[in-house]
Amino acid sequence: MTTKSKGILIFAHNNEEIDYLKLATINAYYIKENLDIHDITVVTNQYSYDYNLDSMGYDFIHDAISNIVITTKDKTFKNINRRSYKDTSHNSMSLPFYNIDRCDAYDISPYDETILIDADYLIMSDVLNNCWGHDNELMMNWKYQDIMTDRDDPTLRRLSPFGITMYWATVVYFKKSNYAEQFFNTVRHVRDNSSYYQELYRWPGGLYRNDYSFSVAAHMMSGFIDKGIPQLPIPALYKTFDTDDVHSSPRKNELLFYLEKPKSLGDFMLCKWRDLDIHVMNKWAINRVSKELINHVK
Amino acid sequence: MTSKLNKALEFSNYRTTLNIQHNALKSKVQTLLNYSINGGTFEISQMLISFVKTLIEQGHDTAILLDVYNNPIEIVGLEDFLEEILSRYFEATNEYHAEYSKMKQSRKVHKLVDLELNDDKE
Repeated sequence: MTTKSKGILIFAHNNEEIDYLKLATINAYYIKENLDIHDITVVTNQYSYDYNLDSMGYDFIHDAISNIVITTKDKTFKNINRRSYKDTSHNSMSLPFYNIDRCDAYDISPYDETILIDADYLIMSDVLNNCWGHDNELMMNWKYQDIMTDRDDPTLRRLSPFGITMYWATVVYFKKSNYAEQFFNTVRHVRDNSSYYQELYRWPGGLYRNDYSFSVAAHMMSGFIDKGIPQLPIPALYKTFDTDDVHSSPRKNELLFYLEKPKSLGDFMLCKWRDLDIHVMNKWAINRVSKELINHVK
Repeated sequence: MTSKLNKALEFSNYRTTLNIQHNALKSKVQTLLNYSINGGTFEISQMLISFVKTLIEQGHDTAILLDVYNNPIEIVGLEDFLEEILSRYFEATNEYHAEYSKMKQSRKVHKLVDLELNDDKE
């Protein structure tokens, strides 16, 4: 009996401000340390790769990432799909949000079992190892938990106030199977016809988000039943907001956060977060503590 | 100490920080109590432990258990399974107890988050 290959897949396309490939590289060191998974594929583009070769060096990148896939950017999409990035409530910037190729994950992944993660979903525990060899062919979460529990954003629960449940494309487990292939084909179909599906599912704004297309695909592939795709074997996806900041990383797998108070914008509470994976939405904040993060694992 | 940190500490309410840290700890314990085996995932609870113990006492060595997805998962070797879930249960609850006790004794915000500050300067 042959052993099934398993690996992590991350998409990382830089924009003018956010160095996603650097985030992916730091995360890859944490993946190796905490999940003991050494097969890590990062999908990026030539510009991002060349920039990081200069800034971080070949060895630093390739010691962490075993397989780099270079794709060509769709410049039209890059110029159209812009979103507001925040570095706390004090600074925000409109920047390109290049996320068009996430639906190609199934075709790109060289592994029998894949966990697709966002570059800024920091792996600080081994909990995702619960996925390998699972009976479910595809898993992703609709349940999320802000680490400051009393902050509630209803727009993160459904695509529209009376719409379907929103799944998070932040972490997706899939194994090579007809079902998973069909699912990613459906995501691609939704992406290619996003105006039609936006009208049908009523998601807000003009931004293309994978959370939306994955949610619609989940709905369709479940026979139009809400919450039809099983969740990951983790209690919740833990997240912060881009209005939060990071004070430091005092120890391995530990972050000390500034969490913005919900009723007093610009004021912060402190939170020590340890040994749990976390979606850090403020990308600048990760960058500010990147040396500390790296020092713990390299 | 940076002015930003000063401001954060100034606004930090001890009870709120305690709640945030307690919730973070509960999340960690919940995570530790998830156990995947044979393609299924189980939440290690007192009920699961008691049920498996009952099956063993009735002479079963193999059983089909429903996991958190309500999928039927065959467990061969219930004794080993019980030993594993008990070990994980003790590990998680002991850690919870140790961290919770430390938290209860921390009477200042910076101590709750393990931030080293000189108390005299507060």
